Amino acid sequence: MGNRLLSFLMASVALGGLAEAKTVIHVMHQGDPGWVSTYGEVAKRFEAANPDVDIELIYAPHDAYNEKFSAAVMSKQLPDVMELDAPFLANYVWSGYLQPIKPLIDQDILDDMTESNVAQGTYPVDKELYAVGLTDSSVVLYGNRKYLEAIGARIPKGVDDAWTREEFEGYLEKLSKLEGVKWPIDTFRGYGIKTEWITYAYGPILQSAGCDLIDRKTWKSVGTLDSDPCVDALTMMQKWVKNGWVVPQSSGTNQFFAEGHPAALALGGHWFYAEAAASMKDDIVVMPLPKFGPKGASPNGTWIWGITTASEHPEIAGKFVSFMLKDKALRNYAKEDSAYPGLKSFAADSPLYANGGPMAVAFEQASKTAIARPPHPAYPIITSAFMGAVDEIFNGGDVKAALTAAAEKIDEDIEENDGYPPFDEQQ
Amino acid sequence: MSDLAIPTLQTEARRERSAIGSLRLVQTACILVIALVIVSPLFMLLIASLKDDRFQILADMGSFRAFWVSNPRLSNFAEVSNLSGELAFGRYLLNSLFILGCTVGAGLIVNSMAGFVLAWGTLRGRALVLSLVIALYVIPQESIIMPLVIMVSRAGMTDTFAVQIVPWVASPLYIFLFYQFFAQLPKELFEAAEMDGASVFRIYRSIFLPLSLPALATVSILMGIESWNQYLWPILVTQTDYARPIAVAIATFFGQDSIYWDRAMAASVLMMIPILALYLAFQRWFVSSFVGSAVKG
Repeated sequence: MGNRLLSFLMASVALGGLAEAKTVIHVMHQGDPGWVSTYGEVAKRFEAANPDVDIELIYAPHDAYNEKFSAAVMSKQLPDVMELDAPFLANYVWSGYLQPIKPLIDQDILDDMTESNVAQGTYPVDKELYAVGLTDSSVVLYGNRKYLEAIGARIPKGVDDAWTREEFEGYLEKLSKLEGVKWPIDTFRGYGIKTEWITYAYGPILQSAGCDLIDRKTWKSVGTLDSDPCVDALTMMQKWVKNGWVVPQSSGTNQFFAEGHPAALALGGHWFYAEAAASMKDDIVVMPLPKFGPKGASPNGTWIWGITTASEHPEIAGKFVSFMLKDKALRNYAKEDSAYPGLKSFAADSPLYANGGPMAVAFEQASKTAIARPPHPAYPIITSAFMGAVDEIFNGGDVKAALTAAAEKIDEDIEENDGYPPFDEQQ
Repeated sequence: MSDLAIPTLQTEARRERSAIGSLRLVQTACILVIALVIVSPLFMLLIASLKDDRFQILADMGSFRAFWVSNPRLSNFAEVSNLSGELAFGRYLLNSLFILGCTVGAGLIVNSMAGFVLAWGTLRGRALVLSLVIALYVIPQESIIMPLVIMVSRAGMTDTFAVQIVPWVASPLYIFLFYQFFAQLPKELFEAAEMDGASVFRIYRSIFLPLSLPALATVSILMGIESWNQYLWPILVTQTDYARPIAVAIATFFGQDSIYWDRAMAASVLMMIPILALYLAFQRWFVSSFVGSAVKG
């Protein structure tokens, strides 16, 4: 009995030792239930293929992801691999949280990235790649075919054929008088100001109008965000709200396809297609974003994968990221979720975005009009200041004053951080 | 004169009765409207949890169809009741119940003892301690959350049940509630027990605690709701499914791109049940505690 107990204890110690010998890779991510399950299954497959590695997934809800990340930083518990929202990349790299990813990722994945995907993962100072993703994103203009036909609207065939500002505003006015239309457009104010939506979706309207949130050479916002083209663009949007043409924030995010189809157009993300098409079938028209000025502009960027500087096993972390991005089941799930392709091979395998597909115009925007959000460490302030200004403007505030206040707030933060060196040297 | 006065009195009495009747009607109508306002979102939640098409739920919102289900299904409940797998909602629910039970149980003991000592103890400077306890109440939880995260992480407590229980057991509000309740009990009770040779702990346990059911019920309910609804704290201090509560799990349904209304609604219904049961179990004392507080000022 004593011998048996001794053997059992020795075996337990040996097994315990074996368990401890495993390399643990912590992976922090967000996502809905489908993605959470999919990541869990990918981790299991990776562990089966690499028995000496344990993947520990750390889930944080989308809305509280930044808080979770801050807590991880403060408690020195950064994971090895983390999912991050692309516009925050510059801030994370500047703060020293991420390491260059190119030497850690399989070459075939790197060669497979679309231009927009490379852009969203690149740090502008050293031009190094710090993150990679399977997917990207865009915003398009959805239309209700019946309403558009009723007002005799021209349906653009591609990005080069997008509506001009005059056409767009003319159609809004006509739609506002059309029977059955309660609101000519849903700009998804219902997403509120807690999400990135306002900067992500409305920023390109400013860029198309000929201005930006910040000058990307001098990294000064005063003189850019409060310049005449920006004031004009936001005055135009304020007019839509004042005229009652825009679905109010309190009416949620379903008015385009809700009963009776009260909203005629929707300035919505690529992900909106699945839920709108499920309800509207052939009545849905997907169009490029209108040209509000000299050029077309559309947003890009989504949640991508980076490897932190805290990782003690960056090679294994990189191996996991490469494994995950090639995983067939993960790609199939992404396809079902109408994910916007960030890898060329994934695009070729996504009929929704392929030539002739219902969302082809969205993918066309990636190469023709996509502009990344400002890749600067002050981005968290840039986005919060801009969102606050837009909220104030939509609630009837003075456009010029709101934009100037936001621009000053952004510049103050940059000054307080001594220009975020070496960004201050980039002129 | 008196002949004339009698019909006048009767008329006035009739008028008064009619006025009271009208007032009651208005009161009933008001109560019905308030009840409708309170109950309708809960009813909508229940109805939506029985629909298995998340797009349909979204499309129905804002119309009366949100209050009607033609083909009720329990599939959402089945999906959010699993005890294993990547999203083991059943497990999260059990985690929440365990955290709730431990927090409330330990909280009742710790806070009532502290309240009793502050009310009847012989500690010098009790008034000062009480002032400090009250002063602590005004500090919002959010303002101390990050230092607390660092503390528990350095103590190696992250990703445990203890980290979700221990920091919230002692609460200035509940200590004060118990203090106020104990302080109102007659001094003679304490003195008589003391004369019989009972220790302070014995007096607390055998005399004061059994008399404080309304306070215990109030603290149980308030503490239970607080613990049950914890969201940010568990996100910050837990990493895996091991000790995560249901409130965090429900947030999974609110993704970046889409919201899974069907399962979110079913999980919300399940999440509501225990706290509703807690309230129903203690409501008699809870209400009497509030009424008592109001009467005593």
